[in-house]
Amino acid sequence: MQGIGLLKGMFVTIQEFFRKPVTEEYPDVMPDLGDRFRGGTIKLKTSKCISCGICMNSCPNGSIKLTSVRDENNKRHLSTYVHDSGLCLYCNLCIESCPVKCIDWTNEFAFSGYSREDLIFDCIDLAKKRGYDVPEVKATPEAGEKG
Amino acid sequence: MQTQKYELNMGPQHPSTHGVLRILLELDGEIVVKATPIIGYLHRGIEKICENKTYVQTIPFTDRMDYLAAMGNNLGISQAIEKLMGVTVPERAEYIRVIMAELSRIASHMICIGSLVMDIGGVTGFTFCIRDREEILELFNRACGARMTFNYIRVGGVSQDLPEGWVDACWKFVNNFDKVMETYNNLIVGNEIVQLRLKDIAILSAERAIAMSATGAVLRASGVDYDVRKADPYGIYDRFDFDVPLGQKGDNWDRFMLRFYEMEQSVRIIKQALEQMPEGPVMAKVPKVIKPPAGEVYHRVENAKGEIGFYVVSDGTTKPYRWHARRAAMVNLQLLDELCHGNKLGDVVAILGTLDPVLGEVDC
Ligand code: SF4
Ligand code: SF4
Repeated sequence: MQGIGLLKGMFVTIQEFFRKPVTEEYPDVMPDLGDRFRGGTIKLKTSKCISCGICMNSCPNGSIKLTSVRDENNKRHLSTYVHDSGLCLYCNLCIESCPVKCIDWTNEFAFSGYSREDLIFDCIDLAKKRGYDVPEVKATPEAGEKG
Repeated sequence: MQTQKYELNMGPQHPSTHGVLRILLELDGEIVVKATPIIGYLHRGIEKICENKTYVQTIPFTDRMDYLAAMGNNLGISQAIEKLMGVTVPERAEYIRVIMAELSRIASHMICIGSLVMDIGGVTGFTFCIRDREEILELFNRACGARMTFNYIRVGGVSQDLPEGWVDACWKFVNNFDKVMETYNNLIVGNEIVQLRLKDIAILSAERAIAMSATGAVLRASGVDYDVRKADPYGIYDRFDFDVPLGQKGDNWDRFMLRFYEMEQSVRIIKQALEQMPEGPVMAKVPKVIKPPAGEVYHRVENAKGEIGFYVVSDGTTKPYRWHARRAAMVNLQLLDELCHGNKLGDVVAILGTLDPVLGEVDC
């Protein structure tokens, strides 16, 4: 009989009234995105970075640009580190390739700006402002142990 | 009375064209005389871009091709490069790959079904599909940190092992799937309006489907038993017990229903894979700088839209000399004119929906 299917469908939707809602109350309640979420810009631990440039070279889209200077001991120091999140594919290749694991995601997911420049981040500056570069507290060696 | 044919532009901003597809319709009243898909609005030159990247760097770009089933693309290109290098992938990684690819297929079919019923007037069906797909995307997000552009399957395995609790969450999803299907059956399949709109419209014969190189559900709806997972098993697909559903008539309804049957089969595969999955490493030992020996390779996998193939030529350097993708959605879309011919204007969206093109893959 024509119409039975329609009624059955309506019954399905009526049942949904009594289910728990699946909608999230964003932005009042921020969603939990998990610890592997890739988003935002690069969280750089400036003091740990050895300025090797591997992250820049592994980036498929040229979205990381860094420059460094050598000091008198021929050791490199980071002078600029810029992440253009507008160009970023969020592919995670940079994070994985860093030999000292000094970069990670800041994990925001709702960037917006009036121009493309708003999506370019100076990661050294950001690390300073947001205090990402907390030096790791090394446990003081116990007496008798070699430091 | 004197009549005259006229032309109508559908798209590129039409919501039913699933992206930026423009169809130039030649109409005789309400009857379609000719439908010309005009493509290229989303062309990014991915092939050329990839020829200037290292092998590993090309994988994220495949995410942007068929973004509704990107795991399949990741799998295809990774296996192509592995074939070129002769890498064997650890067992656990193989199982994870199968689970991810099949979940991706289900997610993509949900969008196909949902958007098709929405295009022909049933918005409720769409919201149900989107809601259930969300669970899959959440699984992906937990595993690799991205919901659609994964870059998860890599040369030599997968980028990270599954996090704690992931397998249980996945079991929960597949065990609950019967209920999901029941809801769809009552809400969508049983709906008489959907049936009337789809049955016996745009019949595609098996001969024409083969002649036009159709693959995936579009081909199998016409009754041709061809699925790359069975015809040319890649990875570990020969270990699983599953059927290849076939249609009889090749009309819109068959193409539509086949997506449901395929989802059920995918769930069957995932269940077996979850049961058999061993512990162990998820990444083979591959050199940091990938330099495959000079040579060429063509590798194909069955993705949600059909057979996607990657043709990679290596000249022994770190970058591919040639990088080409055979995109199923692009090839299937060429059937549009043939199927629309003689049908009503209102059926164009339904036909397009059953062909299930995704413009990221069509334009590449
Ligand atoms: S995530 Fe990918 S695209 Fe983005 S900066 Fe890192 S390597 Fe570059
Ligand atoms: S790879 Fe790591 S250590 Fe090297 S430059 Fe980049 S952030 Fe610094």
